[in-house]
Amino acid sequence: MILETLSIIFLVLGAFFSITGAIGLFRFPDFFTRVHAASITDSIATLLIIIGLILRTDFGLIAVKLLFILIFLLLTSPTASHALAKSARHGGLLTMAETRDDKNKEAH
Amino acid sequence: MLILAATCIAILSVMILALARALKADTVYDRILGVNMFGTKTVLFIAVIGFFSGRPDFLDIAIVYALINFIGMIAVLRFFEYTAAEEQEDDTAKEDRTS
Amino acid sequence: MDKKTIIYLSVWAIVLSGFWLLLSGFLKPLLLAFGLISVTLVLILLHRMDNTDTEQQKLALNLSFLRYIVWLLGQVVSSSLSVTRLVWGNKKELRPAIGKLPIDKIPQKSRVLYANSITLTPGTLSIDIDDKYVTIHALNDESIESLKHGDMVDKVYDEYKGAQ
Repeated sequence: MILETLSIIFLVLGAFFSITGAIGLFRFPDFFTRVHAASITDSIATLLIIIGLILRTDFGLIAVKLLFILIFLLLTSPTASHALAKSARHGGLLTMAETRDDKNKEAH
Repeated sequence: MLILAATCIAILSVMILALARALKADTVYDRILGVNMFGTKTVLFIAVIGFFSGRPDFLDIAIVYALINFIGMIAVLRFFEYTAAEEQEDDTAKEDRTS
Repeated sequence: MDKKTIIYLSVWAIVLSGFWLLLSGFLKPLLLAFGLISVTLVLILLHRMDNTDTEQQKLALNLSFLRYIVWLLGQVVSSSLSVTRLVWGNKKELRPAIGKLPIDKIPQKSRVLYANSITLTPGTLSIDIDDKYVTIHALNDESIESLKHGDMVDKVYDEYKGAQ
């Protein structure tokens, strides 16, 4: 019963953080800030939803599999974000701060 | 049970939003970001729907999806990183020739 | 083959067999034989690759590493809350900034851990990494400042020393 309640809390929080990340994907102004919004859904929403699901198992093989998915996602998602940001930067995309500086330079 | 259905719907709507972001994006990197988010959410969605339908065997599919998603992301990024660099080199080469 | 390699290979054998059992979950003799064949195949490949690999990175799973993971998860939760506030809050609070952090003091082995930890915590993102600096993009200037003076570097360093 306690586990059930805890699991509901974790799942609701996880769903809330996923939706927050998706809204942030639309509300944030430029590419690099949007990566941050996506990283919320990658880190904390994944963590909460998988913990919520683990609490519903009988802590056997299925829980270990869920734990493996969690560890794998937590290992790969920063790597993917980093690769994405790096290739965007090498592709010549400027951050908001830098575009602001460029405009200031042109004005002077 | 109800909570699992609600979580499924929440993750599905997040997936739709991520796809919408990928469709109406300014740069190719925004598109990749949207598709990546769609992929990681799909892993979670498969896991949750496995519990919802009472068949946790779905977790194996989720694991395979997570592996393929990561490798696919890295492959696509490599492709775009190198094509962007080559195009820049081509441009500078052309400029050198014209000047 | 000396004693160290045998211990190293047997640790890998145990880990790989555990992983195989986790993914399959069947205990029939035929399938177990297939598992045994694949584990031996991977071990042979691993041994051959280690002979040609000159810079090996062995990750030690010990207490200080686990402590670091727990601390990192705490950081992830607290910074997620602040990014959530930024998403739902006023757009003017958003002041994206970019900065460079020196990493030449951090040992080579731990740099990946450091850059990945920075990216995993929402609100900060490592864009580029070279021998001396890691370039950070953050949602506000304070997070870069707090990374500069913060204790993530010390924690990573402690973890490294614990692994020695």
